[in-house]
Amino acid sequence: MKNDFRPRFERHQHLVAPIFLIAVLLLVAMVRAPQLFTIDGIGGAIIVVTPLILATLALTPIVLVGRGGVDLSVGPLLGFINVGLVKWLVETGHASPITVVAYIVSAGVLYQVLIATIIIYVRISPIIVTLSGYLVLSGVNLVILDRPSGVAPEWMQSWGSGTSILSPVFFILIAMVTFWFVFSRTSFYQQILLTGANERMAFANGVNTVAARFGAHVVAGLFTATAALTYTALIGSGDPTQGNTYTLAAITALVLGGTSLAGGSGGGLGSILGAICIYLISYILSTYNFGTVAGFVTQMSTGVILVVSLLVNNLMNRRVRAL
Amino acid sequence: MATDLSGRSGEMGGIALSRRVLLGIALLVVLIAAGYVLVPGFASYTNIRSMLLLAAFLGLASIGQTLCALLGSIDMSIPYVIGSANIILAGLFNWGVPPILACLIVLIGGIVIGVINGVLSFRLQGQALIMTLGVGFAVVGASQILTSIGSVYAGNVLGEVPEWLRDVSSIAGTTFGLPIPSIVLIWIAIAVIIIAIMAKTPFGRGFYAVGGNRRAAARILISEFRTWTIAYAISGAMSAITGMTLLGFSGGGFVGVGDPYLFTTLAAVVIGGTSLLGGWGGYGSTIVGTLVLIILTSLLVGLGLSYAMQQAVFGLLIVPMVALYARTPNLRDQI
Amino acid sequence: MSDAKDKVLARGICKRFDETIALRDCSLEINPGEVHAIVGENGSGKSTLAKVFSGVVLPDSGTVSIFGETPRNPMHARALGVATIFQEVLVAETLPVVDNIFAGTDDLWNRSRTRAEARDQSRNLLKQFTGTEINPDTLVQNLPLSVQQWIVIVRGMLASPRLLILDESSAALDLDATGRLHVEIRKRRDAGCCVVIVTHRIAELIHVADRATVLRDGAVVGELVGVNINESNLLGMMSAKHVTLKDKAKPPPATEHPASDVLLSARDISVGSSARPFDFYLHAGEVVGATGLDGQGQVDFLHAVAGLHPPFTGSISVAGHDDVPKPVRDPSEAAANGIAYISGDRAHDGIFPNLSIFENFALPFYRSTFGEFGWIDPRPLERAFAKEIQRLSIKVGRASNGITSLSGGNQQKVLIGRVLAASPNIFILDDPARGVDVRTKRELYAHLKEFAERGGAVVYLSSEIEEFFDFADRVLVFRNMTLFRTVLSANFSEHALLAAMFGDLQPSISPSKMQGAIVT
Repeated sequence: MKNDFRPRFERHQHLVAPIFLIAVLLLVAMVRAPQLFTIDGIGGAIIVVTPLILATLALTPIVLVGRGGVDLSVGPLLGFINVGLVKWLVETGHASPITVVAYIVSAGVLYQVLIATIIIYVRISPIIVTLSGYLVLSGVNLVILDRPSGVAPEWMQSWGSGTSILSPVFFILIAMVTFWFVFSRTSFYQQILLTGANERMAFANGVNTVAARFGAHVVAGLFTATAALTYTALIGSGDPTQGNTYTLAAITALVLGGTSLAGGSGGGLGSILGAICIYLISYILSTYNFGTVAGFVTQMSTGVILVVSLLVNNLMNRRVRAL
Repeated sequence: MATDLSGRSGEMGGIALSRRVLLGIALLVVLIAAGYVLVPGFASYTNIRSMLLLAAFLGLASIGQTLCALLGSIDMSIPYVIGSANIILAGLFNWGVPPILACLIVLIGGIVIGVINGVLSFRLQGQALIMTLGVGFAVVGASQILTSIGSVYAGNVLGEVPEWLRDVSSIAGTTFGLPIPSIVLIWIAIAVIIIAIMAKTPFGRGFYAVGGNRRAAARILISEFRTWTIAYAISGAMSAITGMTLLGFSGGGFVGVGDPYLFTTLAAVVIGGTSLLGGWGGYGSTIVGTLVLIILTSLLVGLGLSYAMQQAVFGLLIVPMVALYARTPNLRDQI
Repeated sequence: MSDAKDKVLARGICKRFDETIALRDCSLEINPGEVHAIVGENGSGKSTLAKVFSGVVLPDSGTVSIFGETPRNPMHARALGVATIFQEVLVAETLPVVDNIFAGTDDLWNRSRTRAEARDQSRNLLKQFTGTEINPDTLVQNLPLSVQQWIVIVRGMLASPRLLILDESSAALDLDATGRLHVEIRKRRDAGCCVVIVTHRIAELIHVADRATVLRDGAVVGELVGVNINESNLLGMMSAKHVTLKDKAKPPPATEHPASDVLLSARDISVGSSARPFDFYLHAGEVVGATGLDGQGQVDFLHAVAGLHPPFTGSISVAGHDDVPKPVRDPSEAAANGIAYISGDRAHDGIFPNLSIFENFALPFYRSTFGEFGWIDPRPLERAFAKEIQRLSIKVGRASNGITSLSGGNQQKVLIGRVLAASPNIFILDDPARGVDVRTKRELYAHLKEFAERGGAVVYLSSEIEEFFDFADRVLVFRNMTLFRTVLSANFSEHALLAAMFGDLQPSISPSKMQGAIVT
């Protein structure tokens, strides 16, 4: 009697918009910028888009676990890990792969654990806590490194060339995306979704909402760490302020991808698609010659895209209950 | 947003409003004392006037943030509207538009942006924050494109600023012979009006109703849509006014002039004790928060902290402040 | 004597929330194989006691022993074998049915069953409980409230708990469904489970409880066993004075209403597509009830008459002074024409938790009294407020206290006072006595009757048949989104109403089993 297909589709209907948008953007790109579709083009694209994909995936579990949690500090955290890497590890000569990985993971995870602790035990709205984090970290970043300088670790220096598709950055991306998909099949992920969809219900029914929230933040920390690593590969140096722009870009990508900012609905695939869309949009825009106003055009379009995608996202996630 | 409560009073309101204001005032006293002791020239005439001036700017910009917070929302477009108003006004002056007309154009522009924010945010409720961020970004991008036409300076607009505008915002300004910059008196006047309206008129109480339980407000025929739109429209208007008076202050258009105001307006609201969850607080609290912030800034500047570090200190302050006033209720109490 | 390991014990429980003392020195004992009801008025503490057993609320003092251990939080309680079905329908709307039913059954790392198994079990269990096929992948937000309540109940029954707590669980269920719930409850009891029912529905608990503990103002006032569980004893214990049916004055017989007294006309209306249109006329002095099985159109009818949204077809209008009918199509037209609406879901629709008791009462009058930007002078409204407090006997401390300091029933009274103060002509109520204790309920309906006698008219919806006897002049029974039958007060009986609701077929519960309902 009931169509079995429809309920299952409904859960993923938030992907319709980003998929449609990617298709349109790819078509436009094929016309405006055919050089994107060469080996060089794709290789370069991967280098640029990977930090954004990973940053958006970092936002995803925090949004999914609910309480309106958007991590505004993802950009400055990315910057923090980057300048710390350049200033503390490379400059002092301790930049072996193992040390670097140990550093980035601890920095990302420890910060997120701190944030989660404040959210859970002090019970403050996540947006405020991460806003606070944004402020603190952007200030601290400038103290660590007052202007763009320094170099990436030696073994990473060739990573940003983008001349081949199967680059180290590409493999990191594949590894992290695989990790996400495995993670999304676990019971832990289910607990995160339950906590985000209705925390009171989850708590009252014995779901360990505290562990779910901590877990979501730890995963976010991991993804931010790898985003910072690939970002360092991209710019080849340290930059105290540029990373901040990833906050808005990742949020836009997340929203475009259809994940509901209220929690409990959406997922990683949407975030990946959303990030690719954002990348394609800025790439296509750069093929137009806007001269001195080029930066402003990007700024304005980011704003417009965010607004439009929020409206579309809202339409798709609409609750059926009337007022 | 604060709609799902039933039964117990829990910690929803946190500390009673009067206690919050007292706490804010206590904080103020402590900071002033610290400033007096630690920073030479803190209590000097010039410094006090400068602090009052800056407080006026922040106070005006925070009006909109307070109203939005009462509805459980945040206006993230404030810095961008301030910056846009700043450069567009400068641009209009450069193009020879008569000053009064130019100001009117910018003010109306601010209101229109506010209305757009309000309409969109009403539709999206919980995502209003991100939405207003997007709108702000679009506006500031567009403003810069507009003012860059025929100019080499992207983001800054140099030109003549009318004398009366500079006098309003000048630190050395006087009003009717009193040694207080006009902008401060303007702020005080607006503040009194806003507080009176919010506490003692049906329109103002309607705000608290919508912020407390939007559905119930709709049942008693309070238009939620109108309330949201007006809140954001006022915010847009105040941001425009702040941007315009800042032009008088600095003498040249600079798009980044609004940047500090995102976090500081939020911090002023939060430190003052208004809950970001909606329905609790008011502009009186925000005034206290504004003063705390300005005095703290002065203190930090006097102690030699860079802008970056100041920002970091504000960030560290927000959490304990919100912890005092706007902790969400324990989950156990909500079941 | 069975020892403490088999029982659920509470000794000397005290709990305080801010200004309110919810529980004082409560002690009770629940044995396996027993259905134990906890009864009391609103504000008596019964829900809090249930939450103490579930591990949600930790008592300030006293001991709770569930099969020998004390629960620290819901997770721990679950491990001890406790399952709770709360008063509020707690579901995750964005997630599918299967995830909702099995919420909490997996721990962080291990799933308790595969997804395919979970889906099959959901389908089967829901079929068993509701009698209908429900696709386990359906997102819960697309299902009606009653199905959501069933999901919550299934979830609670799932783990074959040793202690099953139901807090007002039948609130969103109709008669038929409640009967099925009772069957399941008895099954669990017979299997040795401890069942605790928290309820104020006396008729229901007489039907199903073996033992009843009565709470009043947070303290245990007594216990009843077996045949002693009846309305008279229960009401007597719950309130300070004995309130029996005989004490109440007999209401005057329904008078004939001349047609010229029509206050509201609903012509040719239907409330759903392909529903048969019908006419409805409301006369001055009438109290009209509306009921039906779940989702048969009575709620939509009520909303249409209240002007919340227009009916599917047809028109609703109110008689004007000059005999020109005034249409009612939206809330402002309804309000302008003297129609007042109260919903039973006060947390959702009614109160402003951030405002004082006084302002919750007075806010709707501000604009009309003072204008949009006028200065508010509370004095005239304070007089009206005092009048309503007295009339409805609302227990209020200071008017400037927050409304959340009042119990649920008193909050409802404030809302009703607010509506009464506006002197409406027509009162529309959607399940007004939901979550309200018996005594307050009776007072409420008495006031409504009085209101009608003064020339107004009332239309109210209820799924508890007993709420119609004594008060309504006629009851509209809805089936298939249309008015199926009107039962006049002269013909009131459970049987007549049930027959109308089920349509003259044999109901699944024969009326004799639903004893306990009041019949005059």
